[in-house]
Amino acid sequence: MTGTEHGNRERFLAPARTLLSNGIHPNPVHVPPPTPLPSDPVPEARYLNLDQGDLVASFADAVAHAEGVCHVVEDDAPDSLLDRIVAELGERDGTAVVVSDEPEARAVGDRLAARGLAVDRATPATAAAAALGVTSATAAIAATGSVVLDSRRAGGRVASLLPSVHLCVVPVDRLFATPADVLRRLGSAADAPPPSLVVVTGPSRTGDIEQLLTLGAHGPTALHVVLVTDGAIASHPSGPAGG
Amino acid sequence: MSGHHQLSGTTLRNRTAEAVANDRLRTNVARAVDRFATHRREGLAELDDPDGLRGAARAVKQQVLADLPGVLERFADRVLARGGHVCWAPTAQDARSYVVDVVRRHGATRVAKSKSMATEEIDLNAALESAGAQVVETDLGEWIIQLADETPSHIIAPALHRDRHQIHDLFVDAGGAEPALGTEPTELVGFARGQLRQVFLAAEVGITGANIAVADTGSIVLVTNEGNGRLVTALPPVHIVVLGMERLAADWAQAELLLSLLARSATGQRLSSYTNIVTGTRGDGEVDGATELHVVILDNGRSDLLAGEYHEMLACIRCGACLNVCPVYRQVGGHAYGWVYPGPMGSVLTPLLAHDQPEAAELAGASTLCGACMDACPVQIPLQDLLLSLRRRKAEAAGTAERAAWTAWAAAWSDARLYGATTRLATWGRMVAPLAGRLPVGRSWGVGRTVPRPAEHRFRDRWREGL
Repeated sequence: MTGTEHGNRERFLAPARTLLSNGIHPNPVHVPPPTPLPSDPVPEARYLNLDQGDLVASFADAVAHAEGVCHVVEDDAPDSLLDRIVAELGERDGTAVVVSDEPEARAVGDRLAARGLAVDRATPATAAAAALGVTSATAAIAATGSVVLDSRRAGGRVASLLPSVHLCVVPVDRLFATPADVLRRLGSAADAPPPSLVVVTGPSRTGDIEQLLTLGAHGPTALHVVLVTDGAIASHPSGPAGG
Repeated sequence: MSGHHQLSGTTLRNRTAEAVANDRLRTNVARAVDRFATHRREGLAELDDPDGLRGAARAVKQQVLADLPGVLERFADRVLARGGHVCWAPTAQDARSYVVDVVRRHGATRVAKSKSMATEEIDLNAALESAGAQVVETDLGEWIIQLADETPSHIIAPALHRDRHQIHDLFVDAGGAEPALGTEPTELVGFARGQLRQVFLAAEVGITGANIAVADTGSIVLVTNEGNGRLVTALPPVHIVVLGMERLAADWAQAELLLSLLARSATGQRLSSYTNIVTGTRGDGEVDGATELHVVILDNGRSDLLAGEYHEMLACIRCGACLNVCPVYRQVGGHAYGWVYPGPMGSVLTPLLAHDQPEAAELAGASTLCGACMDACPVQIPLQDLLLSLRRRKAEAAGTAERAAWTAWAAAWSDARLYGATTRLATWGRMVAPLAGRLPVGRSWGVGRTVPRPAEHRFRDRWREGL
């Protein structure tokens, strides 16, 4: 299903084409660097906070730096963590939980349901009433402490958006070193980007009141990332960790 | 202050005088920009060779601009292929008409907006309200100024001119808050969260701008810290994007480079809380997301700048770094600039985009030419050169009397004997020189300055006498 075009494309672009056809006026004082060819590689940022030899540690530090909480665990989210979550939720309004369609999220949902919480599939209605949203991620990024949420995998977006606590469970084999490792693949992916791909770096925040950091503006107030290793961590400088 | 920009009907001089007299404003602005500037330096220090990246970003933007029609066509084709509608809007009116038409067609009366300077530029909210829609700004700073019926004073932090007490009072007076609401930021933010959550859930149309549009995949990138960009694109069934035609990247390598600099330059963060990449409409099996997407590609004077003297201004990624280091902005805040875009980037863009407003040319003078803006710009726009060029343009358009005065002075001081004569006259008249600031002709120069008294003996005389 294609969209429709409005207005006149050629008439819109004609002035630009005309002006550009005569060459571009270079700034005589601050001459721009030579225009790269489309085939020239675009440089990648190198992050001084990133330890290429220990992506897991860099990731955990970066999550904390972004005001999130990172739990590095083997095999699976531990019972102790789930029990703590249940206890904390009891202190907030409501204890309803919503989960995305991702198998990792549903598995955590099942375990929370076994502990007596009300667990539902995330929809705008259920998520608006929930205190906790559980998702997985399509990737995690060590240099920035980010998790990447894919609406196609998750069946939507609201699980990570409406509840005030977001729990994200991601296996270490989806941990990449830098944003470039994730984002620069988007154009060449066999399947086009999903309808929504969000790089989440910490909880929601605002500095609009006197530039003081306040968490929980419109999105989640708290972000917990559970990074699941398989006990034997291998880190590759340019590829996913543990892979 | 009215919710309309005050470029017409006021002068830069009056607006800045008003701002300078407002101690509370200056305290709030100084606090905000100092924080931003410090965080930006710290954020960039975490990158290896940030200046190299800035140079690369400048080259990337020049590459995009050199091929802008081709990049735009590829972008539009990808959007269409993913089910989005594209509107080519040469003028502000074209954009407004299209958006109002979409809203009317859906019979929508509740519109939620994520912060977009482009929509401010075209006065979209007023047009929507005339069409019977209620528009609510969801970025906290934008909601604050909407309640206050003001215009934004900073492109990243629209309400930075207001402190917590002013915001509290505003929430009570216009936002429906109980007077018992505290003034702690957490309470104020909590109140706004509750109020605006209802807006997100009830909105029929969501309108956003875009930080970057990526041609290769037809994607829109929306960067926020609050999450309102995600909510506005996840919940309402219709999503409209207003996109300045220059905000493109050809591919994801270019887009990623720009994104690696955007958050650090704006707030010092490695990445903002949410980098939201929207491509097409809701997918099969997804429970949320817009089912209808419209991308309005806006010209409104941008294409006139291509390939000319001001071409590089189109590289701007709207990070606000130049505002945060500008000594003029620090003293007067954003409203003094009179239009949508404040600070150095505003002083360049406003005369170029709002050129039908004669007062816009004044903004070229709102600069000390210190060059700090150029050093802060992540895409290395030569702002100082562009400001100088705008000043030259303004001088060329100046009145006969002013031009005659400059010409006479230049002629006099290009000749050695005339130079000697004028300096000797100045020493004779040195006792009355300070009065020059009181004369009608010199008064605007004399305000706020002490006219210096010429020396009793000229340097050239002392030199001849052997000093």
